[in-house]
Amino acid sequence: MPDYIKPIYNAVLNFDIDLVKKLVSEAIDKGIDPIEIMNEGLSKAIVEIGDKFGREEIFLVELMVAADACKAGVEIVKKNILDSEIKAEKPKGVIVIGTVEGDIHNIGKDILKTLLETSGFEIHDIGVDQPADNFIKKAVSIDAKLIGSSALLTTTSPNQKEIEKKLQEAGMKGKIKTIIGGAATNSEWAKEIGADFYASTATEGVKIIKNYFKGE
Amino acid sequence: MRAKLEVLNRQELDDIYQTAIDILEKIGTNIEDDEIIKLLKDNGCRVGENKIVYIPENVIEKCLKTTPRGKINIAGRDNSKDMVVDGNQKYPYIISHVLMNYYDELNNNYRTITKEDMKRFITISDYLDTISGVWMCTLMPDFKKMYSFYEYELAIRNTTKPVCISSFEPDSIPPAYELAEAIVGGKEELMKRPLTVAFCEISPLTWNKYGCDMLKATAKWGIQPVITVETPMGDTGPATFAGNIAQKIAELLSGLVIVQLLQEGLPVFFVVPLETFDMRTAQICLASRTDYVYGCAVGQIEEYLNIPFFSPVSPDSKLLDMQEAYELGFSLLPRILSGNKGIVIHGLDQTHAINNELLIMMDEMILSGRRMIDGIDVNKETLAFDALKDVAGKMDGDRRNGHFLNHKHTLKWFTKEWVPRRDAVIDKYRREKWIEAGSKSFLQRANEKVEEILASHKPEPLPKDIEGKIEEIYKKYNIPKV
Ligand code: B12
Repeated sequence: MPDYIKPIYNAVLNFDIDLVKKLVSEAIDKGIDPIEIMNEGLSKAIVEIGDKFGREEIFLVELMVAADACKAGVEIVKKNILDSEIKAEKPKGVIVIGTVEGDIHNIGKDILKTLLETSGFEIHDIGVDQPADNFIKKAVSIDAKLIGSSALLTTTSPNQKEIEKKLQEAGMKGKIKTIIGGAATNSEWAKEIGADFYASTATEGVKIIKNYFKGE
Repeated sequence: MRAKLEVLNRQELDDIYQTAIDILEKIGTNIEDDEIIKLLKDNGCRVGENKIVYIPENVIEKCLKTTPRGKINIAGRDNSKDMVVDGNQKYPYIISHVLMNYYDELNNNYRTITKEDMKRFITISDYLDTISGVWMCTLMPDFKKMYSFYEYELAIRNTTKPVCISSFEPDSIPPAYELAEAIVGGKEELMKRPLTVAFCEISPLTWNKYGCDMLKATAKWGIQPVITVETPMGDTGPATFAGNIAQKIAELLSGLVIVQLLQEGLPVFFVVPLETFDMRTAQICLASRTDYVYGCAVGQIEEYLNIPFFSPVSPDSKLLDMQEAYELGFSLLPRILSGNKGIVIHGLDQTHAINNELLIMMDEMILSGRRMIDGIDVNKETLAFDALKDVAGKMDGDRRNGHFLNHKHTLKWFTKEWVPRRDAVIDKYRREKWIEAGSKSFLQRANEKVEEILASHKPEPLPKDIEGKIEEIYKKYNIPKV
């Protein structure tokens, strides 16, 4: 990594949002290639941050603040390049996530979202208390290849089965894959309802999702 | 003097409370129900954009005035066992919570709870003197819809002690209400000994449609609402105690205000855990170090507000092991000593499982906790000068040979001071004797006790007329039998 990028990378790793903004602005003023700042500095840093959290070397709050720092840096970069230049690496994958109908627990889902975003995925979060149809409609409309659903209540996990059913009915089963999670779920449940993947933690989920899109 | 933990001084409590008032006045509460927004507006609250309602201090004060104090009654079948929170309580009420899974450690079996599991757990709760009542929230899949009604019925069948339910289904309220009415003997009586139903506000500062529906359903039926607020530190609440508690109070008061405006004079109380968002595992934990600190404060906060705060004790351990005992003990004791009015025991595994043997351990812990509350009496008799003089006066030649073992001072006082039990499950034998008795662990001995209780204790059966009423309710509301 070039010397002029390293401080930006380090500032993200130190969760220092103000410093990231300052360094990115200064670098651009000095004429450093914005795309290089983004790809070499910010992106690499956030991937490292995600891995560190996965290895339990940093706390979630550190990851979250680093993610915001990274985003703030990217905002500045984007203001300084032409749209055409943001060939901005195609996202690694497009994913719809949400919490199933009847269920308002959103904390786990939101963590998954941040982790996936920091890993370079494009996430469409449809929110909480969402009927099965909404997951599928959204996925079809944006051509997402994966639906992630969260269920925290034993009474709402059956709505994950509903997603499988609706996918089948729409003839999309297999074309759009599914991953389930949340405290009311486990691997047996995933098998029983025919979900493609299950993860017990968001970190685990990111691993599985990365793997899946690698194969795509 | 009785034992009493305090970790907040008057000024600190005032500062926390004033912050709560500022939060309601200046940050406001998000309310997803137009009817409730209108009600608040008509009563002097300011409605901003995006369904944010700002509740001014005078409205809060007015609603605090109409909230009856010292009148919480949590009812069951036997009115002599009701939990009455009227300021004269000597010890906290301890409530065993029935949850979604049963963990049978002796057989290494973790399962979705069954009706039989619930029956046994409630029967033991019915038997143990230290347990004051049960709380139901299993959402057992077999119950499909109407969970709260099924759970309520199952509980009252197996205990004459008070029963509370948690619900987010307004539809299950009318049948549960009718059953409660039959149990206490009519509408009039139900005003004094109401059905108690808990439901959640959403942090930060939001009453979503589920919560609003429950506020309306309970107010309409005159049910005693229990407002539950969860503000995990660092997640949906600040990571500092003072701010976290201020936010909790603001959210609880927002519920209280709505309850009073919907149904003036309805008694209301709060269930308030202190959770920490564990930043390493991304899990919400109840019985962590922060909870132990909050446990020291909870009694003071409820006294300050003069509204009961029932608070849960919920170990994270997955086993009935050292971690479990540590988390239970550290979570329970400060609550008892800070004067907490009601403590809800959630077995193990982050509020996901219950276990019968655990109730036997709780029984032991609660007895010790109660004894600690009673503190130390200092008077002429307990100072025991005369008894010592007497004992020390016994001589064998030039050597003292007296002791207290055969002294009537000991006979009179040791049961009072020590509270020993003849049927103790905790082991105090000498090693050889313990080996002779089978070298059993606490868990094994507790299990024997559990089986003994289940074999001998039969909860009072439901009277015929109540059985008849239950049949009627099933028909009237078209509830399928499970
Ligand atoms: C916080 C909480 C609440 C908050 C929710 C706040 C919010 N904004 O989400 C409030 C107070 C509002 C609440 C309300 C209720 N709750 Co609640 N709640 C909890 C609690 C304490 C923690 C849940 C949580 O957020 N955990 C932290 C997150 C990060 O963990 P997680 O969701 O498991 O997510 C992780 C993984 O599972 C994974 N993950 C999650 N989703 C997904 C999705 C995918 C695709 C993948 C790959 C991974 C993944 O990633 C995350 C990080 O690793 C649990 C008990 C507990 N200790 O777990 C009860 C609990 C889930 N709630 C419960 C209940 C009953 C309710 C209520 C019905 C209570 C009531 N009477 O009103 C209401 C629900 C109303 C409704 N319609 O949904 C019960 C469920 C019981 C059951 N039988 O199912 C629990 C278990 C508590 C209990 N034992 O009673 N609750």
